[in-house]
Amino acid sequence: MTNSPADSRPQPAARRRRPERPDLDPRGPRFGAAITAVLLLVVVFLALTGASVAALVLLSVLAALFAWGAFAGAGRHPYGALFKAYVRPRLGPPDALENAAPPTFAQGIGLLVTVTGVVLGLAGLESAVGVSAAVAFVAAFLNAVFDYCLGCQLYLLLVRAGILGRGQTAVAGG
Amino acid sequence: MNPISALSLVLVLVAVATVLGLLWRSRQGRAAVVAPGTPDAPGRPDALTPADVGSRGPFGANATLVQFSTRQCARCPGTRVLLAGLARSRPGVAHLDVDLTHRRDLANRFGILQTPTTLILDGTGRVRARIGGVPSRDVVLQQLDDLSGSTHDQLAR
Repeated sequence: MTNSPADSRPQPAARRRRPERPDLDPRGPRFGAAITAVLLLVVVFLALTGASVAALVLLSVLAALFAWGAFAGAGRHPYGALFKAYVRPRLGPPDALENAAPPTFAQGIGLLVTVTGVVLGLAGLESAVGVSAAVAFVAAFLNAVFDYCLGCQLYLLLVRAGILGRGQTAVAGG
Repeated sequence: MNPISALSLVLVLVAVATVLGLLWRSRQGRAAVVAPGTPDAPGRPDALTPADVGSRGPFGANATLVQFSTRQCARCPGTRVLLAGLARSRPGVAHLDVDLTHRRDLANRFGILQTPTTLILDGTGRVRARIGGVPSRDVVLQQLDDLSGSTHDQLAR
């Protein structure tokens, strides 16, 4: 038997605020993360070899792609279209579909990290471009290869720090 | 920096990320057994009640699987299906899914660092094992077997 009083009540409100995004094949976001990881590695390489303009441009493009995923939803990401057209037909059906919210949140984290690198790079701090690309690479690589969900982890830590998810303690207490 | 050194550094970065991933994966889904009677966290009472985990549902007579989730958790729904199925297949075993999104107090009290995290309680509500990450079916079944075994020992005494 399963009881979940803690999550049964806040859900209708959440649904009204934000329309439910369709569930995803979990391998789609991982496929996208693999492409992102390779491109971030290229940014690191360019930054290390002193091609700072090229590194900054490529990091900006990646930031724009993260923004796409974060605002349109992980299911509408261009890599997702690539996955559906060329990769998924070659794979068996997925074990289970996943909610699109966690990978969308993860895209937001990627956006934050890469935009920080772009802004600091534009402000003249060239090393920030390579460093932020390296940080984002580790997250994307762990996601692609090990199915690690940095967004999920950070979300919980932000809840624990009191930054997210406040305000309904009395309601959920039951 | 010349391209060879840059390439070496890039490879070091990949190696570091790989080691991180292997370390993380080796700790996933493992059951950490909590010996009965040892308070494993300060301020935690020996036996929990459903209210202690923010739940109204009753605990199971033999064991309870308390799953901690958030709304931003890719693997929590799958874990929920797995644990609910295991609970149904065993008499006296209950499954509770606790959403921590608005229960920061519970996340802090139980020191939850990742979701899903599953506590396995015995029939009296004592925490007997803790599984971080997606639990494997076999690990949970083994823990439930161990629990019912120790219950039988107590009854036989």
